[in-house]
Amino acid sequence: MNKTLFLFLFICMKSFSQNVEYIERQGEVTFFSYTSVENIQAKNAQTLSLLNPNTQEIAVQILMRAFVFQKSLMHEHFNESYIESDLYPKATFEGKIEDFNANASLQTKLIKGTFTLRNISKPVEIKATISKTDNSYTVKGGLDVFIDDYSIKVPALLSPNISKKIEVTFNFKYAPYDN
Amino acid sequence: MTIKTLRLILVLSLPFYSTGQSLLDKLEKEPIDTVAHVLGTFQGTRISIGHSIETRKKNTLEVSFMSRYWNVEQETSNSFVADRMCARFGLDYGLTDKLTIAAGIGVPNGIADGYIKYRLAQQRANDKGIPFGITILQAGTYRTRSIIGIEQRDNFFDKLASTTQLLIARKFSRNFSFQISPTFVHRTSSISSLDDNNHFAVGFGGRYKVSNHVSIVSEYYYVANPLESVETFGAFSLGTNWQVKNLLLQFKMTNNQIFTEDGFITQTTRNFNTRDGNFFFGFHATYHIQL
Repeated sequence: MNKTLFLFLFICMKSFSQNVEYIERQGEVTFFSYTSVENIQAKNAQTLSLLNPNTQEIAVQILMRAFVFQKSLMHEHFNESYIESDLYPKATFEGKIEDFNANASLQTKLIKGTFTLRNISKPVEIKATISKTDNSYTVKGGLDVFIDDYSIKVPALLSPNISKKIEVTFNFKYAPYDN
Repeated sequence: MTIKTLRLILVLSLPFYSTGQSLLDKLEKEPIDTVAHVLGTFQGTRISIGHSIETRKKNTLEVSFMSRYWNVEQETSNSFVADRMCARFGLDYGLTDKLTIAAGIGVPNGIADGYIKYRLAQQRANDKGIPFGITILQAGTYRTRSIIGIEQRDNFFDKLASTTQLLIARKFSRNFSFQISPTFVHRTSSISSLDDNNHFAVGFGGRYKVSNHVSIVSEYYYVANPLESVETFGAFSLGTNWQVKNLLLQFKMTNNQIFTEDGFITQTTRNFNTRDGNFFFGFHATYHIQL
């Protein structure tokens, strides 16, 4: 009797606490490196992200190989020599949207969390614009990534070509997630 | 506190833990539907002297300068740095990501050459699918001048040669790649009746990356039925490749002066050592342009 009661309680609690989550499977992440010598730009349109409006949590997973460059050789060097995507295939972000209002149609909020690149995690703060339509959320924003923070080594000969500060922007459109 | 209440607290708190499964863990379980091929088995279209499985991507052009420098056997030489040199200027263009065409001209040996290279299969990352990459190469040359004097030189068709290679390579680790290349060389004419116009050979090539931009490479070609009228040796090369952004610099020590496959695979008349006449220093510079 006791056991069945426990089980019942357990199932009840679990179904109540089940939160509605939103997913983005083709999120866009773009990065720019501006120097006087050369501008480098790459775009990734396969970023995965989950958003939980109730807990205000957000998680992002970026597949490093999926960045597309204008120059094919850059794609190879990016993966082979700088990001070393065979060792560190993914970059991730996990954080919380501060003072998030799940019902506001448009809001600009700060997302505080941890960005992990090449297995190195750093706390980051991202200013993001969040808009809500019917049953979806759009989150847009950007952050600056300093390559020294993630021990990305650039040979001295090439340091004029690659900026120390990489500007990253993202645009995610979320749809309800049924798991 | 009874065990029952303890159990109750435990059970009540369980649901919160289960939702506490992080969003990242859930993302980790999402399927990724992209096919990932191994990148950069070798750095350039040539391992060192011979072809690698690498082709160039669509709409990219490579301008290459290949050169060899060596001394002649006479001890009294007044040459600056080296007694002799020869060079090849080439253009390699990627028609598609899998198909590369190229043409080149050698000076002063006057060898005009061209090749078509097609990727038949690519090694997949994560040990799924085919465990190595396969590329087929068809190269042809026209010799405007005699090199070691083994072919007839009466008309245009006597001076041609073709090389067919099946390049099979595997990137074993992030640093080490190895290639085996069964090769068939056909020469349209021979002066000596001892010489076969067809040669079968196998090439072995390896690369070891010592840093993200520098690697050590070596190659050796074994010929199953070498020339009979002239003593020949297997082509050997030991060198380093240095990638500087759009520029690939390849330095090598080798035992031959010819840049085309039919030439160095079947007509290397010197064995590898460091004596004058046998030692050839090679330098290739390849500049990569995205069109």
